[in-house]
Amino acid sequence: MVSQAVELIHYRSLIRNLVAKDLKVRYKNSALGFLWSLLNPLLMMVVFTFVFTQLLDQNIPDFPVFVLAALLPWNWTATAITAGTTTLVDNAPLINKVYFPRHLLPISVVLSNMANFVLALPALFLFMAIFGLPFTAWILYLPVIVLVQAIFLAGLVFILAPLHVYFRDTIVLVEVGLMAWMFMTPIFYPIEAVAPNLAAWMYRINPLAAIVAEYRTILYHGGVPDPLFMARTGATAVLLLIAGYLLFTRLNRNVGEHL
Amino acid sequence: MARHSARLARHDEAVIEFRDVSRRFVLRHESRASFQDWFIGLIRPRGKGEEFWALRDVSFSVRRGESLGVIGRNGAGKSTLLKLVTRILEPTSGKIAIHGRTHAMLELGAGFHPELSGRDNVYLNGSIYGFSRREMSERFDQIVEFAELERFIDTPVKHYSSGMFMRLGFSIAAHMDPDILVIDEVLAVGDASFQRKSHKALQDLKANGTTILFVSHNPEQVRGFCDRAVLLQHGQLVEFGPSDDVVDHYLRLLRGEETRVALHRVRVIDPLGAPVETANSGEDLGIEVLLRVPDGTSTGGLLLALDLHDQAGTHLFGNTAELPGELPLLDEFQGDTRRVRARIGGLPLAEGPLTVSVSLQRSSGGEIQLLDRQELEIYIISDTRRQRGILQLDHAWDWEMDGNTTGNPVETGLTFESRRPR
Repeated sequence: MVSQAVELIHYRSLIRNLVAKDLKVRYKNSALGFLWSLLNPLLMMVVFTFVFTQLLDQNIPDFPVFVLAALLPWNWTATAITAGTTTLVDNAPLINKVYFPRHLLPISVVLSNMANFVLALPALFLFMAIFGLPFTAWILYLPVIVLVQAIFLAGLVFILAPLHVYFRDTIVLVEVGLMAWMFMTPIFYPIEAVAPNLAAWMYRINPLAAIVAEYRTILYHGGVPDPLFMARTGATAVLLLIAGYLLFTRLNRNVGEHL
Repeated sequence: MARHSARLARHDEAVIEFRDVSRRFVLRHESRASFQDWFIGLIRPRGKGEEFWALRDVSFSVRRGESLGVIGRNGAGKSTLLKLVTRILEPTSGKIAIHGRTHAMLELGAGFHPELSGRDNVYLNGSIYGFSRREMSERFDQIVEFAELERFIDTPVKHYSSGMFMRLGFSIAAHMDPDILVIDEVLAVGDASFQRKSHKALQDLKANGTTILFVSHNPEQVRGFCDRAVLLQHGQLVEFGPSDDVVDHYLRLLRGEETRVALHRVRVIDPLGAPVETANSGEDLGIEVLLRVPDGTSTGGLLLALDLHDQAGTHLFGNTAELPGELPLLDEFQGDTRRVRARIGGLPLAEGPLTVSVSLQRSSGGEIQLLDRQELEIYIISDTRRQRGILQLDHAWDWEMDGNTTGNPVETGLTFESRRPR
């Protein structure tokens, strides 16, 4: 495992190039380029704001910021998992022609979608300024939450990518799962709207709920993040990453002949 | 478990070494590639996949600076061998040692992204092989100049002609200073002038000590470029030696001089001659081989080799028999079929799958050529309990009790029994 880690470091320029390739290809083929990846969450924000404040008359102040602070991390999750699940199959021609550490493929998918997320943050900051929400020093805590989410997503993708090689309908199940997951995560409703005992369970079985709540705490409420709470989510994410890494390493041996 | 190791090579040291390398694939006629199939499979179980050995007990070594050709017909195992050298596949059994940085040209331009420019693809491709941005910058101008793509290097490669695409791929590979370069049928790149240029580039690499593994259908290319060669047939190494000799042997094979005699059918049979799929440990095993020998062809000089392997690829037994000059014809089959039977007495193997392979060979002038080969799997059943290992040996336990020389073993739940071959 140590020699593998050394190898990953040796190939670090490949991670950078794979991420750069993903971003370039994504932004290249449309006239609006990067703006599209901003427009998507902003349009969703508009739709949710209309539905929840006009049609349903929810009484949540500054709803656009409330929903966007959760929507951006959710989009990162959904895009990383969708692209990550199929990454081994999508790169089959490369895998069958060149040797390189295949662990890099899931990692680069998570990182390129993370870059996309980070690039969209200024839009969120702009809305915070427009609605006059406070910028507290706790915003500096943001990189910690981003790191925890990245570890969590990498762990998941390490499990799903080889699974999709053996069961090609994994992606279909993943898409349905993502839909359910989105509703089970407090994105367009506050966690307070859930019955307290159910909310506790939601946090326990859904690390993303905790992650989204932390984003919202520092960006929307301007509050203080709970370090203990975050440490628990972080530990869960690290355990998932280790489990995913080991599973990936094990299944990787025979992936070549199933592609 | 077989492991690859990478170290820097000294002079005269073997940089590629294969020792008894086998690689098995499982062919599934009905693949269970989705959860849907998997759930259906829970209700309606399906047969196990059929095994196929793409390479079997292949051994050879290549020294530093040497160029080795790999030839054989389609399906002989050439691609599998290359993928093992380049670590894309791992061997099922045997040992592979690779000393040095390997660069493979299994397909020129593998890893190019069509949307990216030639420039971006050079860096991306370099990093796939583990090169840093700085190392690629040092080589960048040479790569572009060699590929003759100065004007188009910032154009997305999807607009490249296939010749430009291949030229860039070749140029990148040739500038990576590999210790070992693996080339699969890619010398026919570009126009005649680029072909000369690429051929010269390979000669230069070779002169600088790069070890080259070269796979081609074109025997004359192998003869011209390689010092030594291996000839593969049906996954086995038929000949390994100077490329001239090996190419001649391959050409004889291609002309069909040695394919008129062939294996028709191989079966495992019980003492009454009926085909079986299982055999009992300790009992006799019969193997029936039907040969196709055209009228008037002598069977003198033909050899039949019988080999047994276990599931892990361990070579359990091997024996070769020389056939007599005349074998009687069988009326029940077409006119050219002859039968040979082999018997293994008191099969001393533990329970598990057993692969039986039969090779038909011809010996002429001291060299042995493989003509044909078939293999099948049977399952050995043993009723001995608490057994470990791969052999079932004739065994008995006894110990002294109360001064008696022998006593009945205390009932410990163990049952000891032995079988003798009939």
